[in-house]
Amino acid sequence: MDRVQKFKTILWSIVGLATAVGITRFIFGLGVTTNLTDATPWGLWIGFDVMGGVALAAGGFVLTAIFYIFKREEFKPLVRPAVLTAFLGYLAVVGGLMFDLGLPWNIWHMIIYWNPHSPLFEVGWCVMLYTTVLLLEFSPVPLEEFSRYAKIRNFLMKFRFPLVMLGIMLSTLHQSSLGSLFLIMPYKLPPLWYTPILPVQFFISAVALGLMMVSFESLFSHWLYRRKSEGHLIEKLGKIAIWVLGIYLIVKLGDIIIRGQFGQIFAGTRESNLFIIELLISAIIPLAILLTPQLRSQSKWQWISSFMVVFGMVFNRINVGGLTMLSTTGDSYIPSWTEVFISLGVVSAAALAFLFAIERFNIWEARPRDPQADPYTKPIFDGVSHVWLGNPSVAARTRYSLAFVVFFAIGFALMPGDRIYSRGVNQDVALPARGGQVLFIDGNRDNYGVAFDHQGHINRNNGDSSCVLCHHMNMPKDKNSRCSDCHDRMYLASDIFGHDWHAAPNGAKIKCNNCHQPGMQRNKESAKQCRDCHLDLVVPGSTIAFEHTMAPSYVDAMHIACVQCHKRMLPAVADKPMLDKCVTCHHPVPEESITSLPDSRWQPAHGNRVVLPGIMIEEGK
Amino acid sequence: MEAYLSFAKGPLFRLSLAVLILGLARIFLLDIFAAWQAWRRAGDKTIPWKLVISRGLEWLFPVKRIFNNRPLYSVFSILFHIGLLVVPIFLYAHVRLWENALGFGWPTLPYEVAYWLTVSTIVFAVLLLLGRLLSPRSSFLSRKQDYLWPLLLLVPFVTGFICAHTAVAPATYQFFMLVHILAAELIFILIPFSKIAHCVLMPLSQMICTLAWKFPPETDDAVCTTLNKKGAPV
Repeated sequence: MDRVQKFKTILWSIVGLATAVGITRFIFGLGVTTNLTDATPWGLWIGFDVMGGVALAAGGFVLTAIFYIFKREEFKPLVRPAVLTAFLGYLAVVGGLMFDLGLPWNIWHMIIYWNPHSPLFEVGWCVMLYTTVLLLEFSPVPLEEFSRYAKIRNFLMKFRFPLVMLGIMLSTLHQSSLGSLFLIMPYKLPPLWYTPILPVQFFISAVALGLMMVSFESLFSHWLYRRKSEGHLIEKLGKIAIWVLGIYLIVKLGDIIIRGQFGQIFAGTRESNLFIIELLISAIIPLAILLTPQLRSQSKWQWISSFMVVFGMVFNRINVGGLTMLSTTGDSYIPSWTEVFISLGVVSAAALAFLFAIERFNIWEARPRDPQADPYTKPIFDGVSHVWLGNPSVAARTRYSLAFVVFFAIGFALMPGDRIYSRGVNQDVALPARGGQVLFIDGNRDNYGVAFDHQGHINRNNGDSSCVLCHHMNMPKDKNSRCSDCHDRMYLASDIFGHDWHAAPNGAKIKCNNCHQPGMQRNKESAKQCRDCHLDLVVPGSTIAFEHTMAPSYVDAMHIACVQCHKRMLPAVADKPMLDKCVTCHHPVPEESITSLPDSRWQPAHGNRVVLPGIMIEEGK
Repeated sequence: MEAYLSFAKGPLFRLSLAVLILGLARIFLLDIFAAWQAWRRAGDKTIPWKLVISRGLEWLFPVKRIFNNRPLYSVFSILFHIGLLVVPIFLYAHVRLWENALGFGWPTLPYEVAYWLTVSTIVFAVLLLLGRLLSPRSSFLSRKQDYLWPLLLLVPFVTGFICAHTAVAPATYQFFMLVHILAAELIFILIPFSKIAHCVLMPLSQMICTLAWKFPPETDDAVCTTLNKKGAPV
C-alpha cells in the first residue's frame, strides 16, 4: 500500500494548500485570489473545473448507456467506477463553481427565477438534476454495507432503469448546451472554434472523453493498488472510441471546410497553433494509436492514448472557454498560483473521495487488500522522533493530517499579504487635471477625459473676475484650490470637514469648547460655522452654494458646474447650438492636437489612447 | 532589517500561527479518534466519567496537589505558568496588534502588572531550570527537550522586556524585536510536535489513561499469538 499512501499524502497536501487559498477567497474575494478581469471573467476555474469537469464526468452516462441500453454485459466491472467518477466529478464541478461565482449564495436563484432563454439556465438545471440522479444511481453501493438500509436500497434498485435513462437524457442535454453557451459569442470566439454546431461537437467530444476517461481511471487506479489492469476491456473501449473519435474528426474538419475556414488552420497565428496542437492531441494521434491493433492491446499505449484524449479534450474546453478569446479581447491572462491550486485542490479532494470509496465499498469485484484487516501487522515508528505511530491505518491518518496541516500553513503564509490587508474596495481617488492653458480633466486617469480650454474660458468670461464662477472655495491657506482637493473621490461624495481630525491630538488639537458652546448639547446647531475661523473659506461672490460638509463626487461636481453654466449660456450664444449637449465636451480630440498645444505639460499615462468619446460625432455638425 | 521584520511579522507569522492552531487541533482530534477506536474494541466499555472528570479538573488546577511532592517546585511551576499564559495574551501591545488584524480586541494588563509578571516569569523559568538540574531525581527523568524548552521560552520574554522597558537605539530595538518575533514563531511551530502539546491534551489525559486499561476481549490470545506461544497459559 506504499504507493497509495504516498499518492494520498500528496493529495492531502494539495487539499491543505487549497483549503488555505479557498478560505482566503471566501473572506477576501476574487480580487485577492485570481487574475480575472472584466475582459476575462472566465478563467481557469470555468475552463478547467466546470467545462472540463463536466466533460470528464461524461464516462458515467456513456458507460451506463453501453451497459444498460446496448446490453454489453462484459463492461460490468467498469460501470460502478464510471458512475462513481461521474458523481464525484459533478460534485467537483459544483464545488469549483462555488469558488468562481461572485455571489455563490445566490446559486439557488435559478430554481425560482426562471430564464428559459438562457443556455446557462438549462445547464444549471441539468447539472442539478443529474447530480441528484447520480446520487440515487450510486447510493445503492454504499448502502450495501448497512443491512438496516436494505429496504431503501431495494427501492432504489427498482428505479435503476428509469434513473439510467434520465441520466443519459440529462447528460445529452447539458453536455451540448455547454457548447450552446458560446453561440452568443460569434465575435469573441475565433472562427476555428466558433460554429453553429458547437453543441453537437461538444456532445461528441464528451462521449469520446467519457470513454477514454473511464479507461484512464481504470488504468491509474489499478496501477495505484498494484492490481492487474483490465486491459481487454480497455481495448474494447478503445474500439468504440475509434468510431466516436472518427466521427468527431469528420464533423469538426467538415464543419471548418464548409464554413470556408480551412485556410485558417495553417495561418501560423497563435490560434492556428493552438488548434493544431489541440486536434493532434485530442483526436488524430490517439486515433492513429487505437487504429493499430498491436498498439491498442498494449498497456503502455493504452495509457498514452487515453491520457492524450483526456488532456486534449479538456484542452479543447479550455480553448473554447476562454484561452482563444484572449487574442480577441487583447487581454493578458495567466492564472495566478492560487487559481491553479484551487483547481488542483478540488480535483484532489474528488480523487481522495474516489479512493475512499474504492477501499470501503464494493466498487470493484474485489476490494483492495486492507492492511488494517490483519491485526498482527508490525507497528510503525516515526522516522524522526521514533514515536510509535500505531498500526498502519493510524500511522497513515497521522501522516495525512500532518501533510494537510503543514501545507495549509504554507498556503496561508504564501497568501499575498498586501492584497489581504488592502481595504478591498477601490477608493477611486480623483486626481487633479493636467495641463495649463488647456486642462485635461481625467480624474481616474483612464485616458477618457475632457480637454477643457481653461484659458479660453477665462478670456470668454471677462478675465480674472471669472475665477469665482468655478473656484468657489479655498482650502485653508490656499487660493483658487483645485477641484480635486475637495471633490477627491471619483464617484462618491466625500467629507471635507473632518470632525475627528479637528479634535485629534495629532490633528488640529482644538478643544471641544472652542467650537461647541459650553454647557449646551454638542451638536451641529451649537457649533461654530466653518467660516468663523476659516475666513477665506468661501470665495466672495461665488454662486455655487456651500450647504453642508459633504462635497459631491468629482464626476458630479464637474457635471453640475459645467452643464448648469452651459445651459444658462445657451440662449446667449447663437453660434453654438450644441453647447449644452454631452458631445460639446466629450468629443474625440486627436492626440496630436493636445500634445501640440502651446502649454502642454502633461503626457498620456500609457499608450496613445488619449480621448475616446461617449458619442462619436462628425466635426462641424 | 525592516525587510526581515516585515517578513517575520507577515508570512512567517501566518505560517507559525496556522501550524500552531491546526497542529493542536490535529493532535487533539487524532487522540479523540484513537480513544474512540480503543473504546470500540474494549471488552469492558464502562468508563468512570465522574472520576475521570474530577481527576482531570484536579490536574488542570493543581492547587490540591501542591503539597504532595516538592511543594516549592510546584508553586514555582504554577506561578511560571500564570505569567507564561497571561502576559502574551493580555499584553497591551499584543492586543493592539490583534485589534489591527481582527478588528476586535480584549481587556489588557495594566503596565505595572505586565512588568512584574514578565519579571516573575523570567525568574521562575530560571528557578525551574535550576531545580531540574540540581535535583538528581528529576534530572534522571529529564529528556533534552525538558532543558531546552525553558531556555527557548525565556528568549521572547527577555527580548520583549528589553524592547518594552529600556531605552535602546532603534537598530538595537529592531534587532531585539526580530529575535522576539522569530523565537515566538519557533515556539508556535514546535508546540504541536513536542511536550508543550499538553496545553490541549491535558484534559484528555485522564480519559486516555483509563481507556488504556480496557483491553479488547481476545487480547490475551492475541498477545500469545504474537509471541509465538499460542495456547500457553497467560
